[in-house]
Amino acid sequence: MGQKAEVIARLFYPRAVAVIGVTASPERVGYNLLESIVSAGFKGRIYPVHPRLETLAGLPVYRSLEEVPGPVDLAVVGVNQLAALEVVEECGRKGVKGVVLVAGGFKETGPQGEALEKRLVEVARRYGMEVVGPNTLGLLNTHAGLNATFYPLGELPRGSASFITQSGGVGLAILQKARDEGLGIGKWVGVGNRSTLEPADYLEYLAQDESTSVIGLFLEGTEDAGRLARVAGKVARQKPVVVYKVGRSGRADFAALTHTGSMAGSYRMYRQIFGEQFGLLMVENTLAMVAACKALALAPRPAGNGVGVVTHTAGPSIVFLDEVAMGGGVFPAFAPETMEKIKGILGENPPVVLKNPLDAAGQGMQAATFGRLLEAVAQDPGVNLLAAIFCQHRHWRCPTPEILAVRERYGKPVVALYIAALDEVRPERDILQGRGVPVYLTPEEASWGATALIHYALRRGEGE
Amino acid sequence: MVAGEIVAAARREGRRILCEDEAKEVLRRAGVPVVPCRLAASEDEAVALAEEMGYPVVLKVRSPLIVHKTEAGGVALDLRGEAEVRRAYRGILSRAAALDPRALVSVQPMAPPGREVIVGVTGDPHFGPVIMAGLGGVLAEILEDVSFRLLPVAREEAVRMLRSLRGYRLLAGYRGVPPADIEALADLLVKVSGLMEAHPEIGELDLNPVLVYERGLVVADARLVLAG
Repeated sequence: MGQKAEVIARLFYPRAVAVIGVTASPERVGYNLLESIVSAGFKGRIYPVHPRLETLAGLPVYRSLEEVPGPVDLAVVGVNQLAALEVVEECGRKGVKGVVLVAGGFKETGPQGEALEKRLVEVARRYGMEVVGPNTLGLLNTHAGLNATFYPLGELPRGSASFITQSGGVGLAILQKARDEGLGIGKWVGVGNRSTLEPADYLEYLAQDESTSVIGLFLEGTEDAGRLARVAGKVARQKPVVVYKVGRSGRADFAALTHTGSMAGSYRMYRQIFGEQFGLLMVENTLAMVAACKALALAPRPAGNGVGVVTHTAGPSIVFLDEVAMGGGVFPAFAPETMEKIKGILGENPPVVLKNPLDAAGQGMQAATFGRLLEAVAQDPGVNLLAAIFCQHRHWRCPTPEILAVRERYGKPVVALYIAALDEVRPERDILQGRGVPVYLTPEEASWGATALIHYALRRGEGE
Repeated sequence: MVAGEIVAAARREGRRILCEDEAKEVLRRAGVPVVPCRLAASEDEAVALAEEMGYPVVLKVRSPLIVHKTEAGGVALDLRGEAEVRRAYRGILSRAAALDPRALVSVQPMAPPGREVIVGVTGDPHFGPVIMAGLGGVLAEILEDVSFRLLPVAREEAVRMLRSLRGYRLLAGYRGVPPADIEALADLLVKVSGLMEAHPEIGELDLNPVLVYERGLVVADARLVLAG
């Protein structure tokens, strides 16, 4: 592990956390930093620091960091930008490994803030400390019961999807959507102003973090993009990386003398370099980010890009096919043996067209028939990934046990699309997802999940 | 003179922009085919060079102060005889006088038309040096059909880069138009990549246009800016 990665590991798994700038007022950041840490169930030591308070959240408060009795790995700092430098200096003297600095008012505000941030970095370097932020929401690690953000979120579902985000707000949107999708979170970090730690540094750490199986990266832009692309390309050899880069409409401002420079477009450059050159999966919104990470976290990689679809309703399978085909999936014609099996199930002349996607109409609404069709398609040699598309109905049950049986018997990944209100299918979804079948409620999300699996089955690029 | 010496000479003169003849010399040394570009110290010398090269020829202004030659009225194409060369020579220098009284004129053979491609390297504020390839002329400007890669690029990546252009078929052949020499173009990208690796002091490079033929290609104009 590199030196930075070792420190980052310590920040995600601190033995002791000091919270500096705590207050007794729930509307203040300092209060929420402490509540987040306490309410997430952190098992290490927690040291609130405040010059006058005696106790907070049932914990003794220390007058200064110096008075804290034991070593501190992580200091979560809620003071403003003007007080921050002195606090970081104290952290350095105490031997703290790293600081989460939530305050804004640094580089993002102009030359004065930039000068302040430069001094901050100097202090951190002097003591060999790393800074998460400034101007960040903080970081989370469900595997350590650690929520070092000022958003008390309670206990999050634990899992293996980890996120690096250049925006706290978008990061929260991903986190909350993941929660709704039943996708367990591993680690999460808002990189803020990237003062001493770049997204590439966190990525290098997560690459070798055993509890992370897929990494989502939300980017606004970084001067470290070249290294980030190389690192991400390399990391994706071990575990999938999903990249969401914002800025489709933007035009980067290049002060270039040449024609080449004047035509450069930043979003396009990110897309081409991350996506085409380094073979990373690029997504275009938060929903696609979560859908892709869910499939990659839950389902095995298909052996190829052949997709077989079973449904009782054509439209969603067409939407699904359209999206998946754009992402490199193919929908091969079924083999003659498969056709024989399907005819054996539906009859010689059923009132449907027998092709892939297989729309069995009325007969497909019966879970048992649906299951037999899915089983027939699963045995087709051209099919590497199955999509089961079913509209939830009050009187016809979902083919959940049938899907599970096929998934387990044939070993091929299955993506399920249950068109329903979440409340109606939540128990079925949780059963399926608990056994490696991602479930989606819309055809687009199902297609983004399937595309992610296919992408990392086919991956081409320099990091290959 | 090797590439490093040309660059060092420009630096000594406090210049960041290399003139076309210098940029082309750097490229030629890197094994890139270029349209020869020779300096004429006088009108008579321009005529002599044109006669030696054979008509038609092109005359261009040569000044480190004039980056956009066409806009400055500093390019005369397809000159077919002595009289045209003399007229163009005087015209170019008189238009350049206000911008750079010490401007010179270069003489080059008129390259036969081919499929126009742009190849360049730019220092991107986020990625650092990136290489760009795109279809040239009007297509590049209107459709912005260009493809970027982080340097260095190996041959396989260079080919992928060209294939990812929307207008790739204009190179690969269509409706009976034979394919352009895509292999030669991929070679060019790899050579430019190698040149950048060998000379990190190069900040930006612009080969525009590159004329790609059914067999081979040639760089018709080139600009090189040293890293700041």
